[in-house]
Amino acid sequence: MFVTARPFSLLPHLPGGTPPDADAEAEADHPPLTDGGAAVAMVGKDCVAIACDLRLGLQALTVSNNFPKIFQYGDVFLGLTGLATDVATVSDLFRFKVNMYRLREERNIAPATFANLVSSSLYEKRFGPYFVSPVVAGLEPKTGKPFICGFDSIGCIDFAKDFIVSGTASEQLFGMCESLWEPDLGPEDLFETISQALLNAVDRDALSGWGAHVYIIEKDKVTKRLLKGRQD
Amino acid sequence: MPGFDFSNHSRNAALHARGVPLPKATSTGTTIVGCLYNAGKEDAGVVIAADTRATSGPIVADKNCEKLHYIAPQIWCAGAGTAADTEFTTAIISSNLELHSLSTGRKPRVVTCMTLLKQHLFKYQGHVGAYLVVAGVDPTGAHLFTVHAHGSTDKLPYVTMGSGSLAAMSVFETQWKPDLNKEQAMELCSQAIQAGIFNDLGSGSNVDLAVITKDKTTLHRGYLKPNERSQKLKNYKFQRGTTAVLNEKIIKKDEIGKYVSVEPLPAGTETMDVDP
Amino acid sequence: MRGATVLKASDDKTRQLNKNTLMAYSGEAGDTVQFAEYIQANAQLYSMRNETDLSPSALANYVRGELATSLRSRKPYNVNLLLGGVDPITHKPSLFWLDYLASLAPVPYAAHGYAQYYCLSILDKHHSPGISLGEGIKLLEMCTDELKRRMPIDFKGMTVKAVTKNGIVDIEFNDDKIVKCA
Repeated sequence: MFVTARPFSLLPHLPGGTPPDADAEAEADHPPLTDGGAAVAMVGKDCVAIACDLRLGLQALTVSNNFPKIFQYGDVFLGLTGLATDVATVSDLFRFKVNMYRLREERNIAPATFANLVSSSLYEKRFGPYFVSPVVAGLEPKTGKPFICGFDSIGCIDFAKDFIVSGTASEQLFGMCESLWEPDLGPEDLFETISQALLNAVDRDALSGWGAHVYIIEKDKVTKRLLKGRQD
Repeated sequence: MPGFDFSNHSRNAALHARGVPLPKATSTGTTIVGCLYNAGKEDAGVVIAADTRATSGPIVADKNCEKLHYIAPQIWCAGAGTAADTEFTTAIISSNLELHSLSTGRKPRVVTCMTLLKQHLFKYQGHVGAYLVVAGVDPTGAHLFTVHAHGSTDKLPYVTMGSGSLAAMSVFETQWKPDLNKEQAMELCSQAIQAGIFNDLGSGSNVDLAVITKDKTTLHRGYLKPNERSQKLKNYKFQRGTTAVLNEKIIKKDEIGKYVSVEPLPAGTETMDVDP
Repeated sequence: MRGATVLKASDDKTRQLNKNTLMAYSGEAGDTVQFAEYIQANAQLYSMRNETDLSPSALANYVRGELATSLRSRKPYNVNLLLGGVDPITHKPSLFWLDYLASLAPVPYAAHGYAQYYCLSILDKHHSPGISLGEGIKLLEMCTDELKRRMPIDFKGMTVKAVTKNGIVDIEFNDDKIVKCA
């Protein structure tokens, strides 16, 4: 989870009790429960991109090399990494919620609205979270402005103007995106940038890889590409 | 001599067995501060400020997040601790305070906000990890509080919280004086946050600052940006076609009609009133 | 098995969910049969009520839902499943891998538990998308042969069933066959 400060031990306020176990809190930062996987979203000029790897594994054993982690809800795209069972549960949950939204509102859900839906749905499970770190990408329906954001497992939104990363290869992805990304990339250049960022990041992560899906979202079309990746 | 030095291994293993946690490479944190000015006078007010770094373990997750949260037009909160908790507790209390204000027909008071927050946090016995600086101006004057995750509160003329609170407090303790005016209070808070940004690893990036007066609140998002990323001299743009693609599928918006019926309404039709 | 005692040498660890879907299970004794027969009963109830069978993928997602709900209960089912079937409308065959954490994956071939480490590598090498039933049986022979060689357990043999578009058939399977060379 994202932290903006850690309670330190000098607190004069504790009524004889011990401060919350900092280690137990830190443990929740990196849940050991993960099946491997990576996802990334990027902003371009009048377009956004979202990509994921395709591996499903149990620790070192790969069970499937065709397990996509990006889900489409109307015009909004959701990337989910983390524990595979929760990836399935959470993606199904949002499919249900977005369908209900569309029936009620008779329109597609907007990315920003969907982001708040994700946030509150995850925070609802604050003390028993889903082990997922979601990524949302889409274009705002009225203005066509690119929108991306990421979340921790308890629903804190990270609004970003550039890129969002998640999964076991997130550290590698941070490094790749921080150097490769630049403002105002067109759809073709954005595709190369996000693809190379993802492929090279997962090549340095034993738990992710085995191919990738990349979506380039523009005003009037969506392009989905299957990338060739290393098979080791 | 070649090879590794294992001389600390058995010691560290023994320490770990006794329950000493393995050292963490970096610390995480925040710097948030608040300061009253013109205390007791007609034009009394309060300034709060925060850095803009959010971390996940040692990783900087967000370089420019918002830690100043809206509670009411004249009451704002600076939050430290678990980011989701600060976000949602302030939102819930903001909502309850608005309803309370509507039902009483009075402007919300800072003490009321502080009480709602501490009751909420005490109920969760510190498990909701929100550490807050509450500031505002109400009909009874300008007020400044801190609220800890366990539910304890303080009322002071100047406050700091978060992992950068020691660095920030050192600025207050050397430079604070009674009868500060608005500009002096803003400068002092900004200096305190910068002390956190530059001396605490858990804090960084920009200074956000809010000034609350009797008449209005002014939020200075990006009041100071001492850590702007410079323009890249060159780029890593890849030649188009670098990435090997095995399969491609293009879905055009106008083709979606094949799957669902999309009928654009004729112009002048009564449209639904929706969010912009 | 009860501790170290073999109770039965030929236990059928499969349940038929409808005319064209079969589910194989492993896991904690008690949980397995209880869960499998619960699923079987509900699948059959659906078929009776609606006079139509659910597709394999629909069933797989239903089973996943039940397992995921159970996972967050006080006493979760400890069951691993393989679900194979032929779609009654499209006649497309499909196989689903589902573990006790309710992780669901559509796969071309699968195994559970320790056997995965031996079988998946064989299947990686020898499986290809369009193989016939006979070639499939041959692959299974290679897998069981490897398991007998490498697994430190007293191997009591296999139950083999095939799901075809005409229904489920039992397959005579020679588990003593030694595969000399692939």
